[in-house]
Amino acid sequence: MRHFIRNSDWILIVVILLLTGIGLVLIASATHGEALASGSNRFVWRQGIFLAVDLLMVAGVLALDYHSLKRIAWPLYGFTVLLLLGVMFFGHASLGAQRWIQLGPVTFQPSEFSKAFMIICLAAFLDERNEYLEQWKDYLPACLFMLVPFVLVLRQPDLGTALVFAAIAFSMFWVCGFKMKWIAALTGAFVCAAPVLWQFLHEYQKNRIRVFLDPELDPFGAGYHVIQSKIAIGSGMLWGKGWMQGTQSQLNFLPENHTDFIFAVAGEEFGFMGAVIILFLYMILIWRGLTIALNAEDRFGTLLATGITGMYLFHVLVNVGMTIGIMPVTGVPLPFLSYGVSSLTTNMLMAGVLLNINLRHTRLQF
Amino acid sequence: MLNHTSANRLKKMLTVALAVFLVLGGRLAWLQLYKGLYYGKQADGNRMRSAVIMAPRGRIMDIRGKVLADSSPGYVLSLQAGHAFSDREVDLLARLLGMNREEVHKKAERAVNTYEQVVVKGELTQQEITLLEEHLKELPGLSLDLQPMRHYLYKESAAHVLGYVGEVSEEQLKQGRYKGLPPGSIVGKEGLELIYDDVLRGETGRRTEEVDVRGKVIRKLAGQAPVSGKDLVLTIDFALQQLLEQAMDKQLQALRSSGIAPNAYAAAAVAMDPNTGAVRALVSRPGYDPNWFVGGISTAHWKLINENVFHPLTNKVINGEYPAGSTFKVVTGSAALDQHKVTPEELIFDSGRHWLADMGNAGGEALGWINFQTAFAMSDNVYFYEMGRRAGIENLNAYAAQYGFGKPTGIELAGESAGLIAGPAAKKKVFDEEWTLGDTFNAAIGQGLTLVTPMQICQMLAAVAADGVVHPPYLVEKVVNPDGTVYKVPERPAARKLRIEPETIRLIQKGLKGVTQPGGTGAWFSGLPLPVAGKTGTAENPHGQDHGWFIAYAPAERPDLAIACVVEQGSYGATAAGPIVYEVLETYLNSKLDKETGRK
Repeated sequence: MRHFIRNSDWILIVVILLLTGIGLVLIASATHGEALASGSNRFVWRQGIFLAVDLLMVAGVLALDYHSLKRIAWPLYGFTVLLLLGVMFFGHASLGAQRWIQLGPVTFQPSEFSKAFMIICLAAFLDERNEYLEQWKDYLPACLFMLVPFVLVLRQPDLGTALVFAAIAFSMFWVCGFKMKWIAALTGAFVCAAPVLWQFLHEYQKNRIRVFLDPELDPFGAGYHVIQSKIAIGSGMLWGKGWMQGTQSQLNFLPENHTDFIFAVAGEEFGFMGAVIILFLYMILIWRGLTIALNAEDRFGTLLATGITGMYLFHVLVNVGMTIGIMPVTGVPLPFLSYGVSSLTTNMLMAGVLLNINLRHTRLQF
Repeated sequence: MLNHTSANRLKKMLTVALAVFLVLGGRLAWLQLYKGLYYGKQADGNRMRSAVIMAPRGRIMDIRGKVLADSSPGYVLSLQAGHAFSDREVDLLARLLGMNREEVHKKAERAVNTYEQVVVKGELTQQEITLLEEHLKELPGLSLDLQPMRHYLYKESAAHVLGYVGEVSEEQLKQGRYKGLPPGSIVGKEGLELIYDDVLRGETGRRTEEVDVRGKVIRKLAGQAPVSGKDLVLTIDFALQQLLEQAMDKQLQALRSSGIAPNAYAAAAVAMDPNTGAVRALVSRPGYDPNWFVGGISTAHWKLINENVFHPLTNKVINGEYPAGSTFKVVTGSAALDQHKVTPEELIFDSGRHWLADMGNAGGEALGWINFQTAFAMSDNVYFYEMGRRAGIENLNAYAAQYGFGKPTGIELAGESAGLIAGPAAKKKVFDEEWTLGDTFNAAIGQGLTLVTPMQICQMLAAVAADGVVHPPYLVEKVVNPDGTVYKVPERPAARKLRIEPETIRLIQKGLKGVTQPGGTGAWFSGLPLPVAGKTGTAENPHGQDHGWFIAYAPAERPDLAIACVVEQGSYGATAAGPIVYEVLETYLNSKLDKETGRK
């Protein structure tokens, strides 16, 4: 215990506690109207209870050694695939996508957990083949490895999670030494293939991209979210309108304000100062994550920490970018802030893994 | 441990992360610091709904306090401010309301750019409301509100006095008396509604509310209650008004169906108190229902009005310009007697033709030796040719001007016609021809170029009835506050004494009384319960049948009512207009007698 206290990455712990705390505050504001109507702050309570449970689980994660994850990588891979197949057959649809599974009183979103699982599986997969990653062909098995879950989430359809998979894979490949010219080639190939890929998108996804390019195209349909989110954030100005005083979120002009668009609530109610502080906390999170990756005891730890940090970074970029109108709308939550127990739990567990990697490493230094 | 490449790559990743945060932070600064005020306005536009509360328009009542026009709540359809309407929505709306697509489109465009709702249509019928409610889901951004709507209780009755209201037009908002009003305001467009708009309109109220995304009102932010308009009490006696309307409609119908005057669709009549100038009744035919204009006139109704060749919207009492016909003999007689060109006893020989020009009586009859009284009662043309010749056109026109011809009477209705007193100068100007004796003859019997309105003729007759005092006509007795107290009494032009000897006026009165006695052209008026004074007139009409005039004041002694009536293309005055006046006077005098003798 004393060892833990002395050697833990306290900066990371404080940042995560601050972010989850801010998350609860923002959820309370975003669901204020609903709470008044129903008489219970059920969203805040749920998120709070799960946060407490997650903290316990993180403590449990710390007691184990992250190396043991390597051993369960293949079974975990099989489990992930089964889970995603399960969503396809047993999940229930919401907002045009089949993403949720009901388990007793809890609905959860397997695609959130699958992000964490795939980080572990891919880290183990790449770690085993570390010596052989010299040529671009050497990455093909890893690509195929990722392709199966990628296609499965895309079928839900969940473009956001699929892109997160791509980002995770890419960040790990990058650390493994994936060459710049290959990236250039991939980019070129993607640009060429874009018109073909366009055909495979669902109509609502196409609309989101069209509207991303010009939100005024459909101000009361697909463009509505972004327009309202920009209004919310912009109208917050320097100091914000104050907690629970944001007219956009309190009067429900801002949709999904406790989940995907929670950053807009922060921007509206706490202004530029509040939003920048949150971004600053995320920057520290990324900085700590990459430092842990850098100092990890072994390559598996580095890959794991890189994948986790890459996932965080990508989420922040896509989610915040979406709320401020520089990214298309995809259902990617903001880590630690957005309401959603699946997302929260996934992110907390991954933070636990980061702390674990850090802990093992420091032990070696003594 | 970590190889060099991986460490390097992680550092690069940190750089990328920093770049990402810089971009996000930069964009935040742009949105919140640079464009903050713009988005602040957008947020307010989202949550604020400002709506205009129409002030109930003042009521219009007759002299006895009978309400002719009031404001009752009606459903108004408006477009919510800031809402963008698609072309499809505009089409649907135009179709549901039966409105012009362009018009709806214009309003929709205005709605996008304002914080105030834009009225599309008022006075919705139950059928329209049902239709709209069925399609409400396809048409977000609409609101149905109860607003006070103008209501004319007796439809066509007194329409030309009351006028009508409508939405202020874009041109009116830019200039003139309605400049600066909120768009969509209801203003007077015709009649007293137009002239007294400033007192009737009241002050528009306003309410600003905070609403949520569903349009539910969360709280009221500010507001200003509307101030009701003032009420008008008219000089109109609505019982008499309706009596005159019914008598006229009945007579027009009879003239057409009997074949005497198949084109008798248009007519005008006005009745006033000769002692004050107070107008008691004013009718113009064909009429229209001013309720059609409230909340925007439908295409069908507009077509009905616009395609009627007899111009229902024109108030023929003040805008109809006719030759005066023999009613003008009041002027000619006044001039000749007052200038002592003739004595009432002098006999003049009517051979059926005047000895200086080949002009005679209408029916070709010859009355022999006659004096003024007989000539007036029988409307002898030859006698009056001679009167005209003796007085001269300058004198005739000077007396016409004294009686008020050639200029508007000043009644409180917009666009009153001046009429025309024609003399040598006018003839030269219009036809480039010299004035002849024949022209003077024609002028003397009211058949020349001189044009008069029924209002002017009535004013002339009233002046004779009032022993030579002109009381210009007026319609509004007083303006009262909603609580009934007097707000103000409108200023009226002062009464004006004719520069005519009382004896002359007495002789004219005697002449008028003779018309309605046995031997006169209106002999059958002697059947009325009290003697009256009157004059027939037939105005030549080059475009169709002659216009028939009948004017009368009653009772013959101490009169309190003067009526002038003209029936366009009604032919001979006594048969065309006479029955209308007769019927009105019969009822009027009977009820007067009832009151005085305490019968009933």
